[in-house]
Parts: sequence; structure tokens; C-alpha cells
Amino acid sequence: MNPLEIIKRKRAQAINRIIAKGYLSSKRVYVGMATCEIAAGSKEIMEVFQEAIKSGLSDVYLSQKGCAGRCNLEPTVEVVEEGKIPLKYGLVTKERAKEIIERHLKKGEVIKEWLIK
Amino acid sequence: MPKRFNITLCDGPSCIHKRSKKIVSTIEEQLKKLELSGKVGINLSGCLGMCAKGPVMIINPGYTIYGGFAEKDIPEIIEEHIKNNKPVTRLIIDEDHLYNRFFRVFGDVNFFGKQMRIALRNCGIIDPENIDDYISLRGYEALAKVLTDFTPDKVVDQIKKSGLRGRGGAGFPTGIKWELTAKEKNDEKFVICNADEGDPGAFMDRSAIEGDPHTIVEGMAVAGYAIRAQKGIVYIRAEYPLAVKRIKKAIADARKEGFLGKNILGTGFYFDIEVRLGAGAFVCGEETALMLSIEGHRGMPRPRPPFPSVSGLFNKPTLINNVETLANIPVIILDGAEWFSSLGTEKSKGTKVFALAGKIKNTGLVEVPMGTTLREIIYDIGGGIPQDKKFKAVQTGGPSGGCLSEEYLDTKIDYESLAAAGSIMGSGGMIVIDEDSCMVNIAKFFLEFTQNESCGKCTPCREGTKRMLEILTRITEGKGKDEDIDKLLRLGNMIKKASLCGLGQSAPNPVISTIKNFRAEYEEHVRNKKCRAGVCQHLLVYEITDKCSGCSACKKVCPAEAVTGSLKQKHSIDINKCIRCGACYKICKFSAIKKS
Ligand SMILES: Cc1cc2nc3c(=O)[nH]c(=O)nc-3n(C[C@H](O)[C@H](O)[C@H](O)COP(=O)(O)O)c2cc1C
Ligand code: SF4
Ligand code: SF4
Ligand code: SF4
Ligand code: FES
Repeated sequence: MNPLEIIKRKRAQAINRIIAKGYLSSKRVYVGMATCEIAAGSKEIMEVFQEAIKSGLSDVYLSQKGCAGRCNLEPTVEVVEEGKIPLKYGLVTKERAKEIIERHLKKGEVIKEWLIK
Repeated sequence: MPKRFNITLCDGPSCIHKRSKKIVSTIEEQLKKLELSGKVGINLSGCLGMCAKGPVMIINPGYTIYGGFAEKDIPEIIEEHIKNNKPVTRLIIDEDHLYNRFFRVFGDVNFFGKQMRIALRNCGIIDPENIDDYISLRGYEALAKVLTDFTPDKVVDQIKKSGLRGRGGAGFPTGIKWELTAKEKNDEKFVICNADEGDPGAFMDRSAIEGDPHTIVEGMAVAGYAIRAQKGIVYIRAEYPLAVKRIKKAIADARKEGFLGKNILGTGFYFDIEVRLGAGAFVCGEETALMLSIEGHRGMPRPRPPFPSVSGLFNKPTLINNVETLANIPVIILDGAEWFSSLGTEKSKGTKVFALAGKIKNTGLVEVPMGTTLREIIYDIGGGIPQDKKFKAVQTGGPSGGCLSEEYLDTKIDYESLAAAGSIMGSGGMIVIDEDSCMVNIAKFFLEFTQNESCGKCTPCREGTKRMLEILTRITEGKGKDEDIDKLLRLGNMIKKASLCGLGQSAPNPVISTIKNFRAEYEEHVRNKKCRAGVCQHLLVYEITDKCSGCSACKKVCPAEAVTGSLKQKHSIDINKCIRCGACYKICKFSAIKKS
């Protein structure tokens, strides 16, 4: 097998592993976890989502991500739903994270005031 | 529920430009006709990298790309795609490039619309600690491709053709550097990734590594193959713990998957990477100093030649590249040198990452095609200056760079244009300065930095910057003399010419450029003992106005006993005793103290 064939296979395997982790859930949540985001408090935000999933929030894929370049609006949280435009929340606090879980993730209600335009 | 669509239209220079307004209005008319106005977002973006097929329009969600359409096709696209949810297949172009994946997720926001993310394509998209995320987005495919189809010489050739230039500051053509190192005959060679990033205000390389460390690993492995090196070293400062952790994890994971180490992807190619921590001295970012530092010596520059490509780390041929330079490599390999060289300006290809900071609404990392103007970055992407303050200057290139005034806002970002304007591209720090800042003070800030960081090896830099700093300090303290300004220029030019390394050779730049563009401010400091921005403490005059209630709070805090007045009477300040500490100004609850 040449390297290109090997990498093709590896990619298929990687994609399968990501799917096994729940990537195809109806909502994907990404929490910014670069130095700047963490300094702004994103670790705590991440924990709020992790807790929610532990205590039963289902059909949500949670992942960290690096800096997307919005230093003044950090911490940031993205919610991606298939077939919809990805939404980005800025200046997320623990309280806001909880509301995003309750309102957006559970009830499908977009909290417009907190979106990054 | 109908989908909410968003249309992104390329407003880039070679694609659509003058026609975009017409296309936008045609789209809007059609939306109105179909009673969809306000329900569909429309954004204009910078170059989308598909210039050959312009005009280009992307409809999200779904990332459907329409290209080469005529105005008469627009009603059909809107009606079929947006209203009936049936994409018009005959106008869709299939351009699944590696770059701009970012666009799919973020491109509908103004902040990102004008951007083009090549080096940062995965930053903010993938989990940097999960190699699967990287592989799933065609990660390590560039490495596999060169190992399958390319001879080392062909890799070098591609990088040369791409027109990529070093992003670490000097802008030296990357392909030529690779060629020079490749042609050296030696059993041992090195690839070094320079992740030292010492410029104040810069955080491009840190963020790039934190957000997508595998890209650096892959770029280095491709470089290793091209120059026939066995060993790579990432030199990164210890103050970047998260970046260090992530690059280390990426290296370990890549090794496990067979992208590093022995027999890479079954080809017999050996290459491995280790991480070396720097103590965080600015001069250790200079390549010769950096290599001495890795060897365990004190990081001090040495004269070149010999260049690292001939005699570098442990006297072996060494290729040293910046983080951002390396991050471009996989894209050039996969999307092609020709495509890459179609982006940007004549002599500066591709994109450039900037760390936008200072007095600007949207601070953060941005990556734009070369040729984007400073105005577009500051106003369209950066959102302009907060609190309706006036723009005064933009500082690019960090301590090696310069400050450009308003008349330069339409300067295109590329190596030559910025240099012609009197600043430099540098590594990508961009600090926006508003009317509240004093240019003399800014120049002093940068000079203080370089003066502190000078390694002391050569006299012009060691002593010269000290003298310059003394003069600047004098000026900001109101003790400047008429001849000081010209003395600064003379001294600065001398230091530039006589210093051994880039630090000294560029240290006077912030001073020289501020004198050139803001000479009047210097003259005010020297002649009128006045700082128009009210920054230089020693030149401030504190005065108590009629708003004074006579509470005596200021009198109590004044360390110089300069305030007089009895309770419930208007107080006053003895300007000869006042040491301009500002304590009274801060404590007065009645805003009765005026600073000027
Ligand atoms: C004082 C000084 C500091 C430097 N700091 C850095 C740095 O932090 N990162 C970097 O990549 N290059 C830095 N450079 C430039 C490097 O010496 C070298 O040119 C660069 O790493 C080459 O990589 P490139 O061709 O990919 O740009 C510095 C140069 C000088 C003179
Ligand atoms: S120019 Fe300055 S930093 Fe460079 S070698 Fe000379 S003293 Fe050291
Ligand atoms: S603190 Fe303000 S109001 Fe009070 S005495 Fe001083 S100037 Fe007057
Ligand atoms: S600025 Fe300082 S020294 Fe001057 S009057 Fe106010 S408190 Fe006193
Ligand atoms: S200018 Fe439109 S794709 Fe390049």
C-alpha cells in the first residue's frame, strides 16, 4: 500500500471514531479552549456542558476547539446543527451556558441577544 | 420550518469587484419578489480563492458554491435554491479546497467574511488535542502525497513555485531557503520551527499551535523530506504552556500513527521532532541566537554568513522556518503551488495572519489575503475604533516596525507596500492607536523593549539604544532640546547600519517612523512642553475648577502637599510643587480636577 492509500484508510477510521463519539448527534457544541479563552473562563463553561451531558443531556456532541479569533467576545461557544447556519455565542458565562443548555439545546430556542453577529 | 439561508458573495479584487453591487441588488430584488426579504442574510466577502471561476457565491447551510454565473441566472438560483430548496446543479462548482473550511462555519459573519484562512484553516474548528479531527480534514495527506508522488526536489520546486515567503518577519522566499538547505550534502540536517514569538502584542504563533498543532508537525515532516533531514525541533517559549502541551501531544500522537519516527507510512523515510523550550528572550527568536540557545549556550546572534542553510545547528545544514510559514505547506502541497500563487499580490503570495490589538472593536487573530488594505482590516474586519474615537496610527511589525498615519490607511498589505510606506509586515502584530495615545510615548515603549532585550554583544545596539532612550525620556519629561529630534534620527540611522543582528538593525524603526509621520507631536513636546494626548505625566497640568466642593479629599492624598484650600472652599494646586502623580485627579468625586 502506498502512503496515499494508507492515509485514506486512516481517514476513514478517524471519521468512524469521531462518529462513534457521537458526532452525528443533532447538535454539536464547541467550546473555545485556547489560552485566551481559558483566561476568559472557558474551562468552567466546558465543565457546565460536561456536567449536563453526564446528567442526561443527550444527542449533543461536545468538543473543544482553538482560538477562532474573537478575543474580545470570549469565552465563545458554537452550536452547529445540520442544515442550519452555525450559531456562535459570545461572552458566555456559567449562567449563560446553563441557559444555552436549557433553552437552546433542550428546547431548540436560539437566544438571539447573546449571538455574535 | 423553512431553512434560514445565508448568501455570501465574493467581493474580492479579481473576481467580481465592480459588479458586486449590481449582483447584490439583483439578489435583493428577487428576494423581495418572492417575499423573502429580511429572511436571507447577504454578506460580502474577501477573495474566496476561486478567482478563476468568478463571480463566486456561496449559499449556506450546505456550503453550495455557485460560480461563473451571469446576472440573468440569479433569479433562478434564488427561486430554486432558496425558495424551493433545490440547488441549481448546472451552476454549482465543485471546489473543495483544503483552505476556507473555516468559511463554511464562520464565513457568514462580517468579521470572517473578508478573511481567508489558510494557515489558520483548522483553528477554531477542530479539537487540537484529537488527531482524528485533524486526519478527518485531510490531515497528513500532504505528507502522504509527497511520500507517494514527489521526489524531494519536486517538493522544493512546488514551494518555490508557490511564491511563499517567510512569515517570521524578513519575508525571505521559503522555496529558495529550502533549496539552499536541500542541496547541502550532509548526513545530518535539521528542520527548526521558530515558535519563539517575542514581539509585544503578538500571539499569532501561539494561537496557531494551540488551535492546530498537527499542521506544524506535518509542515515540518514535509520540510524534512524535502531537504533530507532526520530531525526536527520546535523551539517554543516556556511562557506558552498550553501550546507546549498541545504540540508535545501532537508529536506523540503523530508518532503513534506512523507519521513521525522510523519508516514513515511504510516508506523508509525517518523523521522525528522534539520540543525545546526557550526562556523567553526576544533575541532568541533571531535564528543564529536561537540555534546557540538550543545547543545550550547563551542565545547571542552571530554574523551571517555562514547562513544556517550551510552551517546551522551543531554546524549542520539547518532549515529554520516560522510557525505560520510551515502551516502553509500542507495547503500548497494539496491545493497546488499554482493555486496558491494566484492569491495575493504580485510579489507577496497567499495570506497573512495578524494579531489585531489596541484600540479596536474586534480584537483577535485575522488572516487576510495579501493585498487587503489596512483600512479593510481595521474598519471592515476590526469594526473600527471604539467609542467613536479618532484613528491616529497603526503600528505593524512590532518593535522592528513602524507607525503609519491615516494617510497610509489604503496601503495594501504586502511586504513591499508596507516597506514603502515606512513600516514593515513583520511577523504580524498590528496595534491600532487612537487619539488618546501619545506617539512619543509609543516610540519610547518599543525602544524600551528592544533596549531591554538587546543582548549587548555589539556597541551600536547596546549603547545606541540606551542613548536614544535617554533622549526620548528627556522629551517626555519636558526637558527636550530643539536638536534632540534630529539627533534621534541620526543616531537611529547609525544604529541601523552598524548593528550585528536584526534586533539592533530594526530597533530605531518605531522612533524613526513616528518622527516621520508625527513630527509635530515631537515638536510640541520639545518646544511647548505639551503632550496633546495627555499621556506624558510630566507635561500634564492639573487644575481645580469651579466644580470643587471643597471636600479636601485631594488635599489628603497629595504626596507633594501641593493642594491648598480650606474645607468647603474651592481648593487650588500649586503647580510648582505638583509632581503630576494624578492622585488628586483620581480621587475627586466631583470631577473638579482638570487634566491638560
Ligand atoms: C530580534 C529578532 C527576533 C526574531 N524573532 C522571531 C520570532 O519570534 N519568530 C520567528 O519566526 N522569527 C523571528 N525572527 C526571524 C528569524 O530570525 C528568522 O528569520 C525566521 O525564523 C525565519 O523563518 P521564515 O523564513 O519562515 O520567516 C526574529 C529575528 C530577529 C532579528
Ligand atoms: S544588534 Fe543588539 S541584539 Fe543584535 S547582536 Fe548586536 S547587541 Fe545583540
Ligand atoms: S477632591 Fe475635588 S471637590 Fe474635593 S476639594 Fe479636591 S478638587 Fe475639590
Ligand atoms: S497630581 Fe499629585 S502632586 Fe499634583 S496636586 Fe495632584 S496629588 Fe498633588
Ligand atoms: S476574488 Fe473572488 S474568488 Fe478570488
